[in-house]
Amino acid sequence: MPQTIVQVQNLNLSYKSVKAVQNVSFSVTPGEILAVIGQNGSGKTSTVECIEGLRKPDSGSIEVFGKDPWLHRQEVYKEMGVQLQEAEYPPKIKVEEQCRLFASFYDRPANWELLLKQLGLEEKRKRPVHKLSGGEKQRLSILLSLMGRPKLLVLDELTTGLDPEVRQNMWAGFGNIKENGVAIIMVSHYLDEVETLADKILYLEKGKQKFLGTKQGFREYVKSQVPQEEWEENLPLERLYLMIAPKTTGLTMEGIM
Amino acid sequence: MNQFMVISNMELRLYVRNFFSFFFTLVFPLLMLLLFGGIYGNTPIYEGADSKMMDICVPAYSVMVTGVTGLMSLPLTLSDYKEKKIYKRFDATPVGKINIMLAQVFVNFIMTLIGISILLAAGKLLYNIQINGTFLSVCISLLFSIAAMFSMGFLFTAIGQDVRSTNLLCYLFYFIMLFLSGATIPDMLFPETMKKIADILPMTHAVDLMQGIFAGDALGMHSKELLILGMTTAICTATGAVLYSKKDWT
Repeated sequence: MPQTIVQVQNLNLSYKSVKAVQNVSFSVTPGEILAVIGQNGSGKTSTVECIEGLRKPDSGSIEVFGKDPWLHRQEVYKEMGVQLQEAEYPPKIKVEEQCRLFASFYDRPANWELLLKQLGLEEKRKRPVHKLSGGEKQRLSILLSLMGRPKLLVLDELTTGLDPEVRQNMWAGFGNIKENGVAIIMVSHYLDEVETLADKILYLEKGKQKFLGTKQGFREYVKSQVPQEEWEENLPLERLYLMIAPKTTGLTMEGIM
Repeated sequence: MNQFMVISNMELRLYVRNFFSFFFTLVFPLLMLLLFGGIYGNTPIYEGADSKMMDICVPAYSVMVTGVTGLMSLPLTLSDYKEKKIYKRFDATPVGKINIMLAQVFVNFIMTLIGISILLAAGKLLYNIQINGTFLSVCISLLFSIAAMFSMGFLFTAIGQDVRSTNLLCYLFYFIMLFLSGATIPDMLFPETMKKIADILPMTHAVDLMQGIFAGDALGMHSKELLILGMTTAICTATGAVLYSKKDWT
């Protein structure tokens, strides 16, 4: 039985009167990738920010490496790397300075010079971070999440802003990282990414946990939720997700013309 | 400690790259010294007086430097990092935002000392200013002045909801104190009403303390100023810390 790295039980979080996360429970073991999916505002980022120790839950328990991340944040971060949905860096800091600074935070930092090359940022090392493109910033953010040679990675929208080739490279890279026993929690809107990488899926809807299980389990869950005549076998994950996700109003010309 | 020095080194580089902070900490006070020195020289402040113009201007400009770092540079850095969620990114590391903030305080402290050292060196070389106080009493006075200005800046950052409102508070208090404390315009020129207003400003007491100590007064002669600056530090730091603990950092 593999040791559990993250254990979340009955997590609840509210913003004033809005219940952002309601009774969410799951666990993650070494070498496992859990994908958190759901619409905008479904509580994905709030959930992972509780795991990251950046938000204090109203109730429920979270253990990361056996410790409460809210109370023992700095200890937990020795073995956890995160890529935030939006990350800003000190004004006028250069790429290599940012890397060197983050490397100083860890006893045994990753070889960031090699990572710069692998992520295609070698030529940008002298460039101020604020002058990087969105995709380059995202790659830097990924690099920094790996700086501490983490055993747990929390990636909030891993490949947003990246071009298709880089996305494919990222998938291969994170596949390797997982093979080396690193547990990964990833928040994603890209269901092709989830299909490729994830072992387990946590599906949230308006803060509530609607599904937790394998990709096959998710297929069966969707099948149980939709009318039989609408069901088709072997649909990609994205089509399955669209079958059950709450419908949003479409954009029409009515408001524009 | 090594990690703290790496962070401080980086913050120092960023400080120097910020033209505004660099100019107002290191260059502007020197320009003031050269300007007023050029006009008055180090002559007696009035006929027959023991005090000379530059002997009282240099300690006053030293307080001006503490005002720049404490009320402009440090609080604006703190509020900018908070608003842009840069602290949040540091919170997602083993270091956490507190260590970054401490490094920022340290760097501003070092820049204050450098700014004052430049003033003292220029004052000595160009106008042969006299520092009659002991080294220890000068250091203690300086520490009390720096602590009071930094803690006020910290409080304004805690009160301000964003960079703009923090900016407003800091600039407002900085310029009011700059002109009324005697840091730029000798307070002997003020009418009584303005002197009364000036008397409630912490910077006025910092200027009085520094000028007195530079003139050779013992620290005991300035217990009132030390008490006011000490209380300013304690109240602003404690209030700021309480307000900070209630802020949303995410």
